[in-house]
Amino acid sequence: MPDLLPPFDAHRVFVAPWTTDLPTYGWMTLMAFLVTTACGLVGNYLILRRMALVGDAISHSVLPGLAVAFLISGKLTLPAMLAGALGAGLITTFLIEFLHTRSRIKADAAIGITFCSLFALGVVLINVFASKVHLDAECVLYGELSHLALAEHSLGMPVPVLVMGGVALIVVVLIVLFYKELLITSFDALLAGSQGFAPGKMHLALMASLSIVIVAAFESVGAILVIAMLILPGATAQLLSTRLPICLVLSVLHAAVSAIGGLHLSLILGCPMAAAVVVAGTLLFGVAWAISWMRQRARTIVSDIHAVVS
Amino acid sequence: MNPPALELHDLTVSYAKKPVLYGVDVQVPQGALVGIIGPNGAGKSTMIRAIMGLTPLSGGWVRIFGESFEKNRQRVGYVPQREQVDWDFPVNVMDVVLMGRYGRRGWLRRVTKEDKKIAEESLDKVGMLPFRNRQIANLSGGQQQRVFLARALAQQSDLYLMDEPFAGVDATTERAIMTLLQDLQSQGKTILVVHHDLTTAKEYFDHLLLLNMRLIAFGKTQDAFTVEQLQKTYGGRLTILSDVAAKAAKGEAMP
Amino acid sequence: MRFPKTVVLPVIWLLLTNAAHAARIGDLTETSITEQALRFFTFSDPSLRLALLGCILLGLNCGLLGGFVVVRRMSLVGDTLSHAVLPGVALGFLWNHTKDPLAILIGATLVGCLSMLTVSAITRTTRLKEDAAMGLVLSSFYAIGICLIGMIQRLPSGNKSGIDKFLFGQAAAMNGHDITLMAVTSGLTLLFVTFGYRGLLTLSFHRAFGESLGLPMGFLHHAMMLLISFAVVTAMQAVGVVLVSAMLIIPPATACLLTDRLHRVLILSAIIGIATAVFGAFFSFLGSNLPTGPFMVLAGSLVFTMTFLFSPKQGWLTRLWRQQTQKCRIERENTLKAMYHLAERYGFREEGITLLELANTRREPLEQIRQRSDDLIRQKLATLTEDGSMLHFTPEGWRKASAIVRNHRLWELYLTNIMQYGADHVHDDAEKIEHVLGEDTVRQLERRLDFPQTDPHGKAIPGARDIHAAIAKPNLGKPTGY
Repeated sequence: MPDLLPPFDAHRVFVAPWTTDLPTYGWMTLMAFLVTTACGLVGNYLILRRMALVGDAISHSVLPGLAVAFLISGKLTLPAMLAGALGAGLITTFLIEFLHTRSRIKADAAIGITFCSLFALGVVLINVFASKVHLDAECVLYGELSHLALAEHSLGMPVPVLVMGGVALIVVVLIVLFYKELLITSFDALLAGSQGFAPGKMHLALMASLSIVIVAAFESVGAILVIAMLILPGATAQLLSTRLPICLVLSVLHAAVSAIGGLHLSLILGCPMAAAVVVAGTLLFGVAWAISWMRQRARTIVSDIHAVVS
Repeated sequence: MNPPALELHDLTVSYAKKPVLYGVDVQVPQGALVGIIGPNGAGKSTMIRAIMGLTPLSGGWVRIFGESFEKNRQRVGYVPQREQVDWDFPVNVMDVVLMGRYGRRGWLRRVTKEDKKIAEESLDKVGMLPFRNRQIANLSGGQQQRVFLARALAQQSDLYLMDEPFAGVDATTERAIMTLLQDLQSQGKTILVVHHDLTTAKEYFDHLLLLNMRLIAFGKTQDAFTVEQLQKTYGGRLTILSDVAAKAAKGEAMP
Repeated sequence: MRFPKTVVLPVIWLLLTNAAHAARIGDLTETSITEQALRFFTFSDPSLRLALLGCILLGLNCGLLGGFVVVRRMSLVGDTLSHAVLPGVALGFLWNHTKDPLAILIGATLVGCLSMLTVSAITRTTRLKEDAAMGLVLSSFYAIGICLIGMIQRLPSGNKSGIDKFLFGQAAAMNGHDITLMAVTSGLTLLFVTFGYRGLLTLSFHRAFGESLGLPMGFLHHAMMLLISFAVVTAMQAVGVVLVSAMLIIPPATACLLTDRLHRVLILSAIIGIATAVFGAFFSFLGSNLPTGPFMVLAGSLVFTMTFLFSPKQGWLTRLWRQQTQKCRIERENTLKAMYHLAERYGFREEGITLLELANTRREPLEQIRQRSDDLIRQKLATLTEDGSMLHFTPEGWRKASAIVRNHRLWELYLTNIMQYGADHVHDDAEKIEHVLGEDTVRQLERRLDFPQTDPHGKAIPGARDIHAAIAKPNLGKPTGY
């Protein structure tokens, strides 16, 4: 189907984004990298704590948070968005907990009920009152990195990039500062509790940072692709390394490669860049999976040889 | 006179609205090596968790060396059940043992060279030093248990609470653990071990704590380890007590 | 943060702006809402009739299958499946460049199966856990789908495809073919659930047991997964990709709160599913271009919330209210007990108990005691003398008071004699237990304790004879039996 793909032009796809179109694509790639880095770093801990689907839930429920923040404050300023997302994230965490401790609803169903309901609420709020919101429900689903070209600039860069950069920086700083606390509460919550490291509070703090990361990433990648940004880097890294610090570094690397790969992929395929970044990230995951599989094979073969030799 | 290493008074715990422990009174003298014995679901692990404030009490209190647990946190070392953690977690043996030092360092402080030295010494004591850089998934069950013990040693505590350290380990590890426990005891440490093997209980421990929802007996092994007490411990559920207590916890009337 | 509406992908955006500019509920005048409502209820509109039929089938299908999904704790499998089929929808569309429901169903089902296989492959061959695997597959497949849709939207045929309707759902967009397909898949589900009920019950409760019996557990599981993907794909047009999993979770979860037998869960969940689907369609019909899915899900969440709060057995508020009633009863019983103690102190010779004494024993201000005595009088457990200073038991009150005291003393005796607790431990415990001991347990205790006469503190335990004695002699605050 020739008309499905735009005509391939090596210059347009590989050279122009880094030369003539750099002002547009440069920011978009940087943004994709920052989003994936921040999400991926937090996501590492989500995967380790088996909370990947809680991340899924919060990414959906940020939407009503934004809608309500807009309805109350009248416009989507940065503080209003952060407050809305934070509130939504904590309410989601609380509701899931409440539903499955106070009734016979199991945890998985509690997650499903909570985020579906909140997401539906968000969509309805936006649809009913949206004529004035610059937040279309569809943007939630695709995300649009290309809006960046039209964003206001401040300090020489588009405001969303600045915000995302700040959030990513904060995430890195927090992980460096609280590395020990995060490690022990994720690995062995009981020991952490007995040593006074308040696993419950760490959990809430993690959920709060997760909500903030998600809301910052929201407009660029949408509610569903952000789940990929949360899980893909960490999952890829954890297939390749068995040390947490290395995993964290690898997820940043994964973010960089998938951002650049996504840029070119989106130009080749002519599809939305946010989705292309995820597809590139998925390809990287596939490669990592193949590597780890081959390593396992190699190890069994080596041990077989050992067995035969001895 | 020394305060008891551990004192429980009327300790009562309800778990998901069902009482699991009921009015436990114990005073464990310092330097005792105590085996906690009881059938499945007798509340052994719950008691350990309740001592460390990890499970809310519905009644009674706990004293560690005469003080509340919060004050004496650092004097308590903990060995959780092996199944409790994810052994696929991306950390190596050394990382796990170092976690035993986190409590001493407190919030926001990094571990120091000294901590690393202590961790290495602890690993050496359990014979796991050669494995220090091994990913924890690539250890046998017994080795994993020894890593947990090394972590507890690194806590340098005076009272150790161990939840089934002998579960699913090989004979070598079992002997190594026993030697270690006796070694600790000779240094004057107090150790409580949840244990499920009645055949070895008598030779391993100098005190026994028989538990089945309530305290059946506590005392020197030769006094507590009697047929009568064991029958009481393993003699099935205490029907009236558990029924009624469950209703009471739910706050519901019986028909 | 603004989104001016000129973008790189003009076609998508055109569609989006169309949607954004479409009439909202707020823009409609009152009359048009009522008109719309009227149109809805008179079924005058043929496309409406189709949409409604579709919603009923959808609610039935998802409700039935969802029952198993929730009971088997696979709620998030539905979520994964519904996101992951998106590339299949796009591929199905590419098959012949129209929205051919059959092609889309086949494409989506194939991709759905592929996604489930990927999840199990990841969990089997790597250290990643199931939740991470599901999240990963869900979002990556979804991204591929978005890429494909982005590409399709640039095609001349994709422009008007209405493929974007798959994201949030539009019941009105369903045509006769869609409905036929839905009817077929719902019929299959109905047959499957009816004839395979026993097998499915075993599968849900204990798969290994079913296998040991030689039941075809693997076949049933896979058939069910296939039907779930059918349900997800056919429902997608009306509910949308993102929210279709809600139709698999919310109605059955609501049903689970109401009953605890699987077949009742299934029936109830199908009914709730149909009701929420129809409600959702109705609300979205009120505005002219509102998406159906979110309204359906909100209707479902509303039903769920009400059930969660008020369900007669499990409801949270119901339980809170019951606990409150319980607390009042306990307070009342404590007052009765205090009265009994006072009467006992005077050797049961006094005419009644003064409020002042009662206040002293219970260590409460007189005002509060007055309230308590009012409560007793309302419950016909006691009467007050005319000057308002003395309380007398009614026969019923006397019966209750002695029962409570008996419970307390029996329990203390049980704890000290049989359980060998120290006598100083048992009082607080008995304070709680006395209110919950039933007659059966009391008989059991009495037998166990060999019908004791006195408690550990040497006080008499009222026996059954004493308790019922008062009833034979009405008019009595003074049980002369003592």
